[in-house]
Amino acid sequence: MYRYDTIDREMLADRVAEFREQCQRRLAGELTEDQFKRIRLMNGLYLQLHAYMLRISIPYGALTSRQLRKLAFIAGTYDKGYGHFTTRTNLQLHWIKLKDAPDILEHLAEVGMHAIQTSGNDIRNITADPHAGANADEVDDPRVWAEVIRQWATFHPEFSFLPRKFKIAVTASAQDRAATKVYDIGLRLHRNDDGELGFEVLVGGGLGRTPYLGPTIRKHLPAKSLLSYLQAILRVYNRYGRRDNIWKARIKVLVAGLGAEGFASEVETEWSKTDQAKIDLPDTELARIRSAFAPRDFESLPATSQAFEAAKKDPAFARFARHNVKPHKVPGYAIIDVSLKKPGETPGDCSVHQMEVVADLAERYSMDEARVSYEQNLILPHVKLDDVPAIWKALDAAELATPNRGLVTDIIACPGLDYCALANARAIPIAQKIAMKFTDPALAERIGELPIRISGCINACGHHHVGAIGILGVDKKGEEFYQVTLGGSPEADATLGQVLGPALPADKVADAVDQMVEVYLRERKDGERFLDTFRRTGLQPFKEAVYADAH
Amino acid sequence: MKALTGNRLDDGEAIFLAHSGEWVSRFADAELFESDDAALAAEAHAKTQITLVVDPYLIDVIPSEGAWAPLSFRERVRALGPTNKPEHGKKTEGGEAIEALLHAHGAARSKGRIELIRRK
Repeated sequence: MYRYDTIDREMLADRVAEFREQCQRRLAGELTEDQFKRIRLMNGLYLQLHAYMLRISIPYGALTSRQLRKLAFIAGTYDKGYGHFTTRTNLQLHWIKLKDAPDILEHLAEVGMHAIQTSGNDIRNITADPHAGANADEVDDPRVWAEVIRQWATFHPEFSFLPRKFKIAVTASAQDRAATKVYDIGLRLHRNDDGELGFEVLVGGGLGRTPYLGPTIRKHLPAKSLLSYLQAILRVYNRYGRRDNIWKARIKVLVAGLGAEGFASEVETEWSKTDQAKIDLPDTELARIRSAFAPRDFESLPATSQAFEAAKKDPAFARFARHNVKPHKVPGYAIIDVSLKKPGETPGDCSVHQMEVVADLAERYSMDEARVSYEQNLILPHVKLDDVPAIWKALDAAELATPNRGLVTDIIACPGLDYCALANARAIPIAQKIAMKFTDPALAERIGELPIRISGCINACGHHHVGAIGILGVDKKGEEFYQVTLGGSPEADATLGQVLGPALPADKVADAVDQMVEVYLRERKDGERFLDTFRRTGLQPFKEAVYADAH
Repeated sequence: MKALTGNRLDDGEAIFLAHSGEWVSRFADAELFESDDAALAAEAHAKTQITLVVDPYLIDVIPSEGAWAPLSFRERVRALGPTNKPEHGKKTEGGEAIEALLHAHGAARSKGRIELIRRK
């Protein structure tokens, strides 16, 4: 893990002191809300329906146990005893007081964390494959490059007032666990035919009102040229991106307008004028950052574990092992998915006690590391197979062992109208009602992989466009309705969902999902996931089932 | 009929202007304006109270079970607290006034949301 150095710590301390004074001036009336709003947002502090919300940045979703314990402390001391992990691998605290915000930021700084650039038209938190460093097929550790970008992008003066917010994701595996096709920039590390490390660069993906899958503008960018090339992309965007219309300001609209080739040509021209050696990271600096992610000191263990296999006699453990335990690059180790999706609970919510349990398990069993995935779950990336039964028991006692990773109850949902000032409709209660229809783990397992994603407004924080079943809350004259899309996927085979039909009232959505699952179970052929069956059959059978009453 | 709402500066809580001129947490204690002119005057004054309230705006209210409730669902969520957590928010106080809010059925777009988006 990257540890802040003296410069980082001093910079954060200065920033906290500055924000403390700004808060005092606002509370005293020396700053108006219009003057202060931009300042608080630069520090991750939003004003929502019931209170201030603090969005804490978790770079590439990686947390030490000390950091996770600090988040638990903050949630217990300054909030209502829980936090909400988001699809950007951040943590949101929904019940924050303005007067407490500087103290919270001071606590975060103690553990090398902050809320800077979790709002505003700047480069936001850099996300990466949450299996980084543990995954067998990755060509390099994407966290190294995510950290390089993080350091470059933090307080970057030229890119602090972009036309709109800007999000970058990095992956280094064939399986895309970072949704790189729906990011402003998606970076896919690979080796070319000559064995050289480089990035496939995707630009202009995004969800929201106008969803796009990001096209590739460069198939192989030498890794050492990353920052100068990113600068060229950002400069083209800064110059040509629209600032007159918020709905057309994201880079995806610019890329779509110019076409991928046209945009790439602009970037190449800009890049050719750049003094690349001045911008790109010196080898010594890259080595310094890389050393923070040096391979762990794994033990030599047998590939199979007797303790792990014996524990499978318990059907509940066996189910957990099937769905929440993933292969690790080192024999005898595993990656564990910690589910924040117990049916009936709020997706992504984690209580103080649960954070402390995961922090303890990370420290004891996972080399002091936990991760946040964009699917709003936690991950223990480096555990011995021998220890999985003990970890499962501890997770189960804390209601964190739901064996549903990737299944119908592993639902992504944004906070929606229950908290968010921008939302049109609630997302969480819809997720809760759907999940409660599939509480039988045997049924969920029989249904198999079925990602459901729910957003409470067109901003699409719940990634509904790329859900196998996507659900979007809309406002029809003040009433909550939900538009259903089918067939979306954020992974290597990325597709955007197709609209099923007219929007449904809130009380019909869970039943509609149930009906669509019935269609899938009826229609599916051997080994087909929901997505595969949908791609074969198209919308029609699902449409007929859901809208049968209307005919 | 209208009420005046906003968020309290220091803790962000949803608050309402009471007849006394104070800002209060309970919707049931909000002053109700029959006259648009009086409502607009109160809103204009509230915008000068920058150390008390953030982004004040008027909301429409409707009768519900012998009491009053915000017309917009969004505003009822603000007045009650999040629906996913029974233990959080103003609804935990209970009583007839809260029941009236819980059972209200009006629907309209919230001016608060529209203004928020317009200002972005």
